[in-house]
Amino acid sequence: MLAVRRSITTAIVGLVLLVPSLLSAQTMYVSKDEVKVTEEKSPMSRVVDTLRLGDQVRVLEKSDRHYKIRAQSGKTGWVFKFKLSDQKVGGGGGGDMLSGLTGETRIAAREASTGGSIRGLKETSEHYAESKQIDPASRNAVQKMEDRAISREDLLKFQREGSVGEFSGG
Amino acid sequence: MKWALATLSIVLIMGAADRSWSFLDQLVKPSAEKKQSQRTGQAQPGEPKGLVDGLGGLLGAKEKDIGLFKKGLKAVQSLQPIGVEEEIAIGQAVAIEAFNRFGGEYKDETLTTYVNLVGKTVAEVSDRPELTYRFAILNSREQNAFAAPGGYIFVTIGLLKTLKNEAELAGVLAHEVAHVTQKHMLKTLQRSTILANVSEFSLSAMNKDPQLFSNVIDAATDMLFEKGLDKELEFEADTYGIEFAYRAGYHPNGLRDYLATLQSQEGTADSLFFSTHPSTSERLGRAKGVAARYTEASKFPYLTERFRSRMGAA
Repeated sequence: MLAVRRSITTAIVGLVLLVPSLLSAQTMYVSKDEVKVTEEKSPMSRVVDTLRLGDQVRVLEKSDRHYKIRAQSGKTGWVFKFKLSDQKVGGGGGGDMLSGLTGETRIAAREASTGGSIRGLKETSEHYAESKQIDPASRNAVQKMEDRAISREDLLKFQREGSVGEFSGG
Repeated sequence: MKWALATLSIVLIMGAADRSWSFLDQLVKPSAEKKQSQRTGQAQPGEPKGLVDGLGGLLGAKEKDIGLFKKGLKAVQSLQPIGVEEEIAIGQAVAIEAFNRFGGEYKDETLTTYVNLVGKTVAEVSDRPELTYRFAILNSREQNAFAAPGGYIFVTIGLLKTLKNEAELAGVLAHEVAHVTQKHMLKTLQRSTILANVSEFSLSAMNKDPQLFSNVIDAATDMLFEKGLDKELEFEADTYGIEFAYRAGYHPNGLRDYLATLQSQEGTADSLFFSTHPSTSERLGRAKGVAARYTEASKFPYLTERFRSRMGAA
């Protein structure tokens, strides 16, 4: 009986010791697709994992503009902190009671699928331009906006050269 | 035996604790933090007002519209938030009007790509990063920039030529991105009398009733190109814009500095900013206060040389 009491006491002591780490631990969610987790804070260091929109991560350490995280894969590394969100914004990842209740996950996931990359003009917008007899050049200019693609590589090169984006603050 | 039992107890507790981490995070996080923007480590704009009479000013309705707004409150409340598909359709039609009214496209692919690179750098750290933002230059000498719903953002060549560096460009584009992330136009439209008796605003409903869609675009273009949004929404876009530019690693003084240029030109420049935006001196005063909070960003770049070389002969 005494042994059981001591065991319970030890368990309680263990829990008390555990509480500070529980309170300091933080769950966050990836807010963009293809977010790189790197070995060091520099985005030029070795990529250890690539995260998808909505993936859940555990924040292990914080610096000015980067967080060290543990991904669901178990891999750890650094992520540009402004690509993480307190709230789940669609995609996979673990459950979040609040976003499930508010429907934010569903809306954001839909937004990600419809708001992305190249898309044509919508029928409603086409009809509007026709009915108002707007110069086709204006309609074509919007289609050109839709068609213009900036590659991830070009964007990163631009950011690296200017020390902005993920390359900022260093 | 007792240590084995104790270890087992701790492991079981840890397992349960791990599953409840998300829940604990929600519990231990201060409520003020939850209300803040999704990001961490940033200054935040003020919280919205809560009273019905305050809603008119906050959400963009003019005072004279508040009475009508109240009358239509029941109908408005039944309308669901405008969805992304519908937002993009509105944005595309407003974008067509933008090209149509402001001199068409400024045909410089290299410069347009540059504006897109700066804009995307800002937009991907905004509060709505999952949307694809598209940036274009309008062939107009007037200084102007505006955002249509759905992420269609415009800046005139007249405004670009007034800027001194890339941080100013980032600040201006970030202000426009903020209008999209905060859905300023959508919220204003949703509370306008045009949609007061509309219970469904879907793409299929708009296709069935093109006049309704046309009325919405008329209201949107009138708001964007003539009357301007409510001034509180402009202040909010300034505050969020400075925040997004800071997150992107630009010197947060960019927008402030452009507003200072604008103020120095007030009364002389050919600018729609003066008719569609609140008093520049009031904006500048507030923007100075917001930018000054980012003390740790004092060494962030302005990128003056890169801006000059990319502007080239434009």
